[in-house]
Amino acid sequence: MKVAAVMPAYFEEPRIAEAVLGVFPYVDAVIVVDDGSEDGTAEQARTTEATVLRHSLNRGQGAALRTGTEAALALGADIIVHIDADGQHDPEAIASLTKPILSGHADIVFGSRFLGMEAEGMPVTRKALLMAARQFNALVLGVSRKVSDPQSGFRAMSADAARLIDFQQDRMAHCSEILRLVTRSGLRWQEVPTRIRYTEDTLAKGQKPTDAFKIVWQLIIGAFH
Amino acid sequence: MLVIQLVLLAALFAAFLLTWKRAQERVIRRREALIWSALWMAAALLIFWPELASHVASFVGVGRGADLVVYAAVIVLFVLIFNIHVALDRLDRKLTQLVRQEALKEIGDASLKPEDTRV
Repeated sequence: MKVAAVMPAYFEEPRIAEAVLGVFPYVDAVIVVDDGSEDGTAEQARTTEATVLRHSLNRGQGAALRTGTEAALALGADIIVHIDADGQHDPEAIASLTKPILSGHADIVFGSRFLGMEAEGMPVTRKALLMAARQFNALVLGVSRKVSDPQSGFRAMSADAARLIDFQQDRMAHCSEILRLVTRSGLRWQEVPTRIRYTEDTLAKGQKPTDAFKIVWQLIIGAFH
Repeated sequence: MLVIQLVLLAALFAAFLLTWKRAQERVIRRREALIWSALWMAAALLIFWPELASHVASFVGVGRGADLVVYAAVIVLFVLIFNIHVALDRLDRKLTQLVRQEALKEIGDASLKPEDTRV
């Protein structure tokens, strides 16, 4: 079974090489998708053994993940892991994400911040917002309430599952979209506890509370396609 | 008949002709042309018979005819802007597909070779 990690990166020059090297011990291949960064992200990523793809224009995290996923499928990966490039996802958790797929118990596994493992440095506002997002997902999108983390970007899926999940949201709304597609399909899914490290760096670059409105708007627009 | 009525009616008639010319040229769909035509005719009706707006206004519970026209205009504009957003999003996704195709060319015929397997 070949495991490929897909790592979207946008302006990650100082961190990307370290992030890739941190992931390599747990996977067979790393695919970095430089999402139109104008710094040395791609060059830094190329100093490692990662396969580096480049979006000529910034298209968003969802778009980059999809590009990387298609590349992983084309390269013949059996399991595809989505992981952030900014180091907030602990690569050690990749093993617990892929285990249920390897043992044939799940088609897709999500990392959750709310299954016991305390996230390091998660601000209270972030937590409240995620709880609200969970309600929104359930009531508006019809995502199962069993999903504890509504905005998890750390996930693993079998190649078949990756081919089935036709996510279209280019930007931040892809998390909710993937959850909706998966929980309403016949795919077997699971959540496993993962620890997220929030640092000043990742918080400064990560999502802002106002992004919640953007996500809702993108989902509404997306529904009218 | 007031001059303003004549001018507006002439403009609406021109819009009506243009709509169907475009429909014939297949620039817009027949369905769209019908919707636009209905809008032009409704406007013409209001110009011919301004009291109509007041009648409809009192029927739906809005004070004056002029108010009703403004409310309706706000709703129509909202729908139009929303449609533009959806169209933009569609364009965005096409752009993404293009950028993705370009990016995926880089992997060419490569594949995860068996000797790479570490699992």
